[in-house]
Amino acid sequence: MLSSYLTMAAILFCIGLYGALSKRNAVIVLMSVELMLNAVNLNLVAFSKYGVVPSLDGQIFSLFTISVAAAEVAVGVAILIALFRRRGTANVDEFNEMRR
Amino acid sequence: METVFSQYAWLVPVFPLAAFLILTAFGRGMKQSGPLVATLASFAALVLSALILFEHMNGADEYNDSFTWIGIGGFELTAGFDVTNLTALMLIVVSLVAFLVNVYSIGYMKDDERITVFFGYVALFTFSMLGLVLADNLLTLYIFWELVGVCSFLLIGFWYQKPEAKAAAKKAFIVTRVGDVGLLIALLLLFWYMPDHDLSFSAIENVFGQSGLITEGITTLIAILIFVGAVGKSGQFPLHVWLPDAMEGPTPISALIHAATMVAAGVFLVARTFPIFEASQAALDTVAYVGAFTAIFAASIAIAQNDIKRILAYSTVSQLGYMMMAIGLGSVTAGMFHLFTHAFFKALLFLGAGSVIHAVHTQNIHEMGGLGKTMKTTAWTFAIGALALAGIPPLSGFWSKDAILAEALHANPALFAVGIAAALLTALYMSRLFFLVFAGKPKAGGEAHESPAVMTMPLIVLAVLAIFAGFVEMPFAGTGWLGEWLTGHAAEHEGTALVMLVSTAVGLLGIYLGWLIYVKGAIPRDVVTSRAPWLTRLLERKYYIDEIYHAVFTVSLRAIGRALDAFDRHVVGGAVRLAGGAAVWTGRAATRMQSGQVQSYGLYVVIGLVILVAAIAGRRFW
Amino acid sequence: MGGFYIDWSGELVAFFAFAVVMIVGAVLMLTLTKVVHMVVSLAAVFLGLGGMFVVLEAEFVAFVQVLIYSGAVTILLLFGIMMTDHQAAQHEPTRPVHEIVSAVAAIVLFGILFYAIRTTEFAPSAPPLQAGVDNAMEIGKQLYTQHVIPFELVSVLLTVAFIGAIVIAKKEAE
Repeated sequence: MLSSYLTMAAILFCIGLYGALSKRNAVIVLMSVELMLNAVNLNLVAFSKYGVVPSLDGQIFSLFTISVAAAEVAVGVAILIALFRRRGTANVDEFNEMRR
Repeated sequence: METVFSQYAWLVPVFPLAAFLILTAFGRGMKQSGPLVATLASFAALVLSALILFEHMNGADEYNDSFTWIGIGGFELTAGFDVTNLTALMLIVVSLVAFLVNVYSIGYMKDDERITVFFGYVALFTFSMLGLVLADNLLTLYIFWELVGVCSFLLIGFWYQKPEAKAAAKKAFIVTRVGDVGLLIALLLLFWYMPDHDLSFSAIENVFGQSGLITEGITTLIAILIFVGAVGKSGQFPLHVWLPDAMEGPTPISALIHAATMVAAGVFLVARTFPIFEASQAALDTVAYVGAFTAIFAASIAIAQNDIKRILAYSTVSQLGYMMMAIGLGSVTAGMFHLFTHAFFKALLFLGAGSVIHAVHTQNIHEMGGLGKTMKTTAWTFAIGALALAGIPPLSGFWSKDAILAEALHANPALFAVGIAAALLTALYMSRLFFLVFAGKPKAGGEAHESPAVMTMPLIVLAVLAIFAGFVEMPFAGTGWLGEWLTGHAAEHEGTALVMLVSTAVGLLGIYLGWLIYVKGAIPRDVVTSRAPWLTRLLERKYYIDEIYHAVFTVSLRAIGRALDAFDRHVVGGAVRLAGGAAVWTGRAATRMQSGQVQSYGLYVVIGLVILVAAIAGRRFW
Repeated sequence: MGGFYIDWSGELVAFFAFAVVMIVGAVLMLTLTKVVHMVVSLAAVFLGLGGMFVVLEAEFVAFVQVLIYSGAVTILLLFGIMMTDHQAAQHEPTRPVHEIVSAVAAIVLFGILFYAIRTTEFAPSAPPLQAGVDNAMEIGKQLYTQHVIPFELVSVLLTVAFIGAIVIAKKEAE
């Protein structure tokens, strides 16, 4: 049973990874990142119930990650809005100042 | 008998070495005093050599001193000096001729810009030659052997602005190097086979004196390889080609190096390692035949040459052939005796030629004539030298050449015939030279005047020696002193009366022929040239040996060099350029990765992660 | 679970149902064209995940998940879309090489993870967690005793985050 949950989390994670790497719109990238974080949460809770040492720590940990993810989305959207205001575009590949 | 001076024999080379160092360090300001310093040093060497010689003539024992030069583990290489009768004799020859040449050069090189450099090089050469003579093992001798070659190179190319001089210096060095390779291989073989790896001459004498310690095949090989080294240095066929070209150097050094001393080093080497040759009849035969062939070969070329120094150079080659022939026939005495007398009269002839060149500023004998009237001292001393070379009694050359011919008649009559023929040619070319230069009508506009005293004094000294030096070994019973002193047993004299008669007759015949052709005109000069011009051309072009060497060796070596150069530039250089290019290409490719696109960076991270995880997880499979 | 023998139980059925919802939602999120539709499918994924947490007997976490993710985060993302580019149909030129390589990388990563999951021997059933009747109470007890420091730090983090977000997103004073 545990391996099904872990496999499910892996699927979600890889889909989110693909989205983060290949989508142009910055909002979509943010969404993909949220998907990856959710996969992590699923992993934590699954181990909390079926893991080697079942305990509540997994669930508590997932609470913390949810909080951090929420904060991260907030700040991320704020940055996105600020960038959009300056550049007029929300496309990730327009922001390439970190060139050689 | 106790030796007083022999223990200081190491000082003899040190005097000229000190002169060299002083002249090299301070030479520029010493144009006046430099030559004097050098001459003084060589005089000091001469005095010490004379003292050592007298000591040994009075029966002193052999003296040897050596020190450990390199010690590796349990193995030691020593260097030291040996004062035997043989080396004492060579010491006096070298230092005497060196001193006289120094004095002569004060006059001859007076107007030269680099006179102190010249004297410095001559001092260095004297040091090297004296070191070579005194060396007590073959390795030390080899070191000085190479040093002498270097000095010869420096001095031949002394007037380096002349391209012929540069080419001649290179040729001399390279050709003698070919011979030196043989000597080096012989050295290595000896090192391998000698018990305790001892290369000293006394050890060689012990080991090769007993038969069976080293196999005949190896002995012959070693002996022939040593002889190859001697062939190079002493200008025997086929490595004789450098000696005539070496005449590009100043005449005093032609006298010192290429007549009296360095070229004699080859003969000295064979004499020093004679126990090896004695143990192998094949090697002795090789030496004898090569020597005899060279003697007649060079003499035949000499009669067709027109440059006064070239004639004397080929004469030197020919006489060295005589010395080699003597040793090859088993008589070290005869060979060393001829070396001894030859040093004096050949040096005399060269210095005399220098005096002539100094006066008329040309070296072509056909442009000279009638100098006997204006240059009396030169003419008389030159005549004495020429007569000595031709083997006319009672001059020194007669006795020494006779010793060789007697040995030849006794051991190998065919070689005796060759020797006689060469003697005839010798007399002929010397008389041709003498009559064309000193007799007849003056051609040089009559401005030739006698050389200054500083140049004629050495001529006179050498002339005296050329007359009297032969009396140390005369074939009459009870008067053969040199042989006993050198080798410990008296030389055998058989059939010497016949030899004396024949050689004198041949010498006189040669001179008479020369007189007939060149003075009287009874036989026209072009008697051979008109009938057989091909012969004249063949002799004049030195049997085309130089051209053959050029075609066989130079061209092919140059082609190989060019091929290797192309290989180096394209293959090796190409590989290096390829490596560099690959690095640059990789860099440019990597640069394109730094696009500023965050998603690209993220992709690289994921790829890196995948590879890392795969590598770590996959460890269980290998 | 090894082999292909499936032991049907209620948990498994629920798991599969929610799994289907989540996967469909995730795939749709990537393939739809309008951004707003993408956000909606993401919300569906969040809800599915909440359901799965319930199946895992983590009710409080499920509650927080639905509240925070499919509530606050989704709205936030919608605001983000609104204020940036809400035409947002992706019709600019594509980057085929990049997309293919990242797809391959993602698939390979999944393969590795799947392999790891399949070959790992998890400890034989230690009795799975009895979460107790009152999940929230238990979590609260743990939170305020053992994990009180991270709890406080998270509150600081949240404060900083929202202050930061306001500062960044503010219109610059003209």
